[in-house]
Amino acid sequence: MPLWRRKSFWLALSVFWLLLIFLGLFPLRLAVPPRPLPGRSQGWPRWLDAAFLRSFFQPEALPEDGPQLRQAPRGSSCTWGACFDTSKCKGNLLKIFVHSSAGPTAEAHRRILDSLEGSRYYALSPAEACLHLFLPSQDHRGACGPLPPYWNGGRNHLVLSLYPAPCTRLGQAMVAEASPSSDIFRPGFDVALPYLPEAHPLRGGVPGQLRQHSPQPGATLLAVAEEKGGWRTHASACPWDRHCEQDPGPQQTHPGETLPNATFCLIPGHRSAASCFLQALQAGCIPVLLSPRWELPFSEVIDWTKAAIIADERLPLQVLTALREMLPSRILSLRQQTQFLWTAYFSSVEKVVHTTLEIIQDRIWGASGRPSLMWNSPPGALLALPTFSTSLKDFPFYHLQQGSSPESSFSALIWVGVSGEPLLKLIQVVAGSRHCAQILILWSSEEPPPDRWPETTVPLAVIEGHRKASDRFFPYDNISTNAILSLDVHSTLSTSEVDFAFAVWQSFPERMVGFLTRNHFWNEAQGVWGYSTELANEFSMAFTTAAFYHRYYHTLFTHSLTKALRTLVDDTPACVDVLMNFLVATVTRLPPIKVPYGRQRQDAAPLVAEGPGPRPEPQPLAQDCINHVATRFGHMPLVSSRVRMDPVLFKDPVSVQRKKYRSLEKP
Amino acid sequence: MCASVKYNIRGPALIPRMKTKHRFYYVTLFSIVLLGLIATGVFQFWPHSIESSSDGGVEKRSIREVPVVRLPAASPIPERGDLSCRMHTCFDVYRCGFNPKNKIKVYIYPLNKYVDDAGVPVSSTISREYNQLLMAIADSDYYTDDISRACLFVPSIDVLNQNPLRIKETAQALAQLSRWDRGTNHLLFNMLPGGPPDYNTALDVPRDRALLAGGGFSTWTYRQGYDVSIPVFSPLSTEVVLPEKAPGPRRYFLLSSQMAIHPEYREDLEALQAKHKESVLVLDKCTNLSEGVLSVRKRCHQHQVFDYPQVLQEATFCVVLRGARLGQAVLSDVLQAGCVPVVIADSYILPFSEVLDWKRASVVVPEEKMSDMYSILQNIPQRQIEEMQRQARWFWEAYFQSIKAIALATLQIINDRIYPYAAISYEEWNDPPSVKWTSVSNPLFLPLIPPQSQGFTAIVLTYDRVESLFRVITEVSKVPSLSKLLVVWNNQNKNPPEESLWPKIRVPLKVVRTAENKLSNRFFPYDEIETEAVLAIDDDIIMLTSDELQFGYEVWREFPDRLVGYPGRLHLWDHEMNKWKYESEWTNEVSMVLTGAAFYHKYFNYLYTYKMPGDIKNWVDAHMNCEDIAMNFLVANVTGKAVIKVTPRKKFKCPECTAIDGLSLDQTHMVERSECINKFASVFGTMPLKVVEHRADPVLYKDDFPEKLKSFPNIGSL
Repeated sequence: MPLWRRKSFWLALSVFWLLLIFLGLFPLRLAVPPRPLPGRSQGWPRWLDAAFLRSFFQPEALPEDGPQLRQAPRGSSCTWGACFDTSKCKGNLLKIFVHSSAGPTAEAHRRILDSLEGSRYYALSPAEACLHLFLPSQDHRGACGPLPPYWNGGRNHLVLSLYPAPCTRLGQAMVAEASPSSDIFRPGFDVALPYLPEAHPLRGGVPGQLRQHSPQPGATLLAVAEEKGGWRTHASACPWDRHCEQDPGPQQTHPGETLPNATFCLIPGHRSAASCFLQALQAGCIPVLLSPRWELPFSEVIDWTKAAIIADERLPLQVLTALREMLPSRILSLRQQTQFLWTAYFSSVEKVVHTTLEIIQDRIWGASGRPSLMWNSPPGALLALPTFSTSLKDFPFYHLQQGSSPESSFSALIWVGVSGEPLLKLIQVVAGSRHCAQILILWSSEEPPPDRWPETTVPLAVIEGHRKASDRFFPYDNISTNAILSLDVHSTLSTSEVDFAFAVWQSFPERMVGFLTRNHFWNEAQGVWGYSTELANEFSMAFTTAAFYHRYYHTLFTHSLTKALRTLVDDTPACVDVLMNFLVATVTRLPPIKVPYGRQRQDAAPLVAEGPGPRPEPQPLAQDCINHVATRFGHMPLVSSRVRMDPVLFKDPVSVQRKKYRSLEKP
Repeated sequence: MCASVKYNIRGPALIPRMKTKHRFYYVTLFSIVLLGLIATGVFQFWPHSIESSSDGGVEKRSIREVPVVRLPAASPIPERGDLSCRMHTCFDVYRCGFNPKNKIKVYIYPLNKYVDDAGVPVSSTISREYNQLLMAIADSDYYTDDISRACLFVPSIDVLNQNPLRIKETAQALAQLSRWDRGTNHLLFNMLPGGPPDYNTALDVPRDRALLAGGGFSTWTYRQGYDVSIPVFSPLSTEVVLPEKAPGPRRYFLLSSQMAIHPEYREDLEALQAKHKESVLVLDKCTNLSEGVLSVRKRCHQHQVFDYPQVLQEATFCVVLRGARLGQAVLSDVLQAGCVPVVIADSYILPFSEVLDWKRASVVVPEEKMSDMYSILQNIPQRQIEEMQRQARWFWEAYFQSIKAIALATLQIINDRIYPYAAISYEEWNDPPSVKWTSVSNPLFLPLIPPQSQGFTAIVLTYDRVESLFRVITEVSKVPSLSKLLVVWNNQNKNPPEESLWPKIRVPLKVVRTAENKLSNRFFPYDEIETEAVLAIDDDIIMLTSDELQFGYEVWREFPDRLVGYPGRLHLWDHEMNKWKYESEWTNEVSMVLTGAAFYHKYFNYLYTYKMPGDIKNWVDAHMNCEDIAMNFLVANVTGKAVIKVTPRKKFKCPECTAIDGLSLDQTHMVERSECINKFASVFGTMPLKVVEHRADPVLYKDDFPEKLKSFPNIGSL
């Protein structure tokens, strides 16, 4: 081998080795950027022998984690499962019996009794009841008065007191009292009530004060609840003189009863401030509770984080910063939630008492009780009956939250007082709609129903009524769709009108969609409600003799209205329209929807006719109805509208061929 | 390497015609290239060995090497837990302080091995799960390694299972932690509390004020709003993969799979099985299995052998019965199988019950009512059962399936208590992703008709058409409910006319000058807007009558969460082109309204400016078009509702203008508008627009009624 060759060979080899050693020493640092070492900056080491660690849980090694029987409830530490016997509630329905102490009933007791009487919970005898209501007397503090008969250690008893109770823990009884201290409150067993002012209305009650969704620009940020009652507002949003460095600015003090006018209401944590809480709620002022030592009302079911801010009193400045920087979207939803909660559960004594009972009813139902959404979104749990359905999609008001849409077919429910030609024609018209799923004839005539019915493309069924007006809104099992077209035998409609009205209803499934309407007004001179039947620029009620609405309102009509109201309707059938409109308006807080009615002539009177039998003076009677029903409801829920929903090309000077609902325009 | 050397030698032979002089050169070069190759190859294998052999230190070491701490027999013991503790009494929030991210800082103590005076270890150092748990915390955003900045302290002393613990010594170990301070702000994790014979439902180790994340609380031991109830982790979660099974009826209606059940309860269950035969299955441990088969993974009924947990997927409802402890790992298995748990454990606090709505995923039956269980379950409608099955599986996926999920959910709950204004909502905790996607939460959900007295603010976007602008101002000022007029001057090169030249109107008139000529300036949430209702109006819309505008405002009051406009437009699916198409023909349907004149809530200005998804806002400004379509998309998407078209008006006709209508006729304009719809639909990921067949007219519109008695007679032109 020539020298140069050998030389070069060795040279190459040595260079090779040198490089190899060199690179071997600093390879990572030169070539690859150092990998982030897991664990170094993150503190917890990756153990080399982590794979050999034993599990905390060795099923084999837990032979003793086995049999043990239930423990008896310990003293006053009651839970629902241990201290309430649900088997006493037949059909899982809550029935209550009220034991009022002997002697003159206190004002507070009388109000509770009034709110219960005639409600669906009311039991006439203690044997029927599964919950006994005990109203401790308010007279002598400390003593509870004599215990009622059937006391049975307090089992299945509810001690209800609208004010902080004079005596609380009584055997195995549940306690519902105003703003209970969170130290003694038993979650899931006791019920926390709001602290109601003395003059709280029995029924209905004032609606929330909020008139607009978002706060007025430049509105006061913060009102602070005063020790002696009333509110203090600050111009500079610095409520703590000690903590703020800047000048606290001019402050205003508002006396006791006035509602705060600010975006946020600061409420200290001690129990005596609990009375401010409802004021803030009513005013639409978002409550900011600083470490409350009392249980928030109905905390078992109401998600207060959606309506209030519960903050730590030790971090006032931090809270203040958070309030100032809160996103408009959050403020918007908190504000609206305060109003919804106030109107749904707190505005009257009746609502507070009924909410308490519904909470207990929900416990009895267990899995078939109301889902949280029902309690925490409009219209609220008192107006959403889970007996109707446990699926939220079946209700008219949760379509948005559920991401569902109303069905595309309806059932026609024709109420027949007198048989005749118009009925057959009406059946043809309704069956002509491609959205019609079934026709139900509610036969309320003295004569027997005919044996043969016209051939229709949709199924037709006859329901024998009891010739009572309230029959019309009974939740019949035969109704197979959520949409109902309620008709009177005298209704004269065209298929086109039915189709269009149904298309509109699908956009407003929670409202009533009607053809003929009326408006209500306040008659200053006589101090009564009145209403107009003639053509007007506004309306607030839809006639149920030709209207689309959701099947759920039948359930609500039959099961939530008091007996007195249903009797009123049976006695004076003309009131049925008014009552139904009141009911729907209570739920929606909105007016019905009006759609055009082709044959709107002065002789539209037959359509107006309601109920069987002769009615000599419908007008004054109806006037009477509205006042009667308004008194029973405790407020006027009807809302007026100035809008009618027409087809997009309605009566436009364009070719009729373009129009989908052309027969609506025929004179 | 030898091979490569050989190859190296052969190198020159491959280039025979090369000059010798160059050969040396080439050989060297070749070898260097080869070297590079080898070195790179070496990298692939070396880093690992380097890491393990080099100073690893904190990162990698053996558990056997952790420091040993000797606990003198007389070292202090913390007091027993204080049952009256609440966040505002026992928790020191000052340590958490102000934090722009609203996240608590968590510190983990380093791992030590504790021995008593005699040198006997207090417990096994750490379990696999606790190691995973601390690792999960350390990897999360909550972690800090700076003890002085921490708000929450997690000891590395493993108390997940109380069984192997020496209670007193463990307590002493806790007490000597550097920041113990009576346990303030310390968080302990425990899944198996208590021990024989009475099985307390909370950890027996004295812990003073420390928070306890416990897996078996009862109502007597759980400090509501202070402790956190956590699940008992089931190791099967990681060992077994159970594919999600579609909800629906399954082979067995009710199944019990637990092995250690009190004989009395087993009798109850077997009575149920006897009564309902095929639909109930009660399993027990297997007695006749051959050696080597894991008995944990097998269950038997008489002589039939079933695989566990797979068998759980065959049942609609699965019994979760209390044992000596209230918390049972079987709950996790049951949820994983998408079986609806029937929890029979009086006074048990279900895992994460502070935030999770267990009603949606489980049935709780009192122990007393065990024999009625079947009929209780049968009363639940099938649709609800399917919802529950879906929910059960989702709870497992989100909060049960790993130690990490459990640890992070626990910290999130504590975080939400400390920063309540940034807390996660009920929906975020409980709604499964499918619901989160389809559901709409309308920001203006309260049914409310704002008072008429509030009025509306008209916002006129203008560039330089002063004459036309002044006419619009004069016309709009005739509307009774107008409360303010805002002119947005979008021309940077020209000053707005002098104050004296503007028309004199009865309401305040403000001029806002913009920094850039952008279409989105029309939808900016100006501070000057004081009313909730906003009327967006172009500077050439002079044909709308006062009645039309006033009526539009009245309609908006009844539908404050919607876009209320005049000419309506429609989107259609073009089957040939397979995409959306913009339609301005006079159709029977509408899905959009033009914002050349439209009423809407001012909140939508905020949304348009700050919350518009994707790059839509920039796209609109770049194309100088489609801002109205973008607004229609935004409102429909956030409210889930359709627009309201008012009055028969079909177009904005004006003598000299070339705006919307002039352009609308233009073919390219239509193409561009269609493109906008397709672009927006892809950004939103869905088509939010809703099609309706109705428009809003005054109640007596075109009715046979004296015109002068109608509220809005001057309505009707197209």
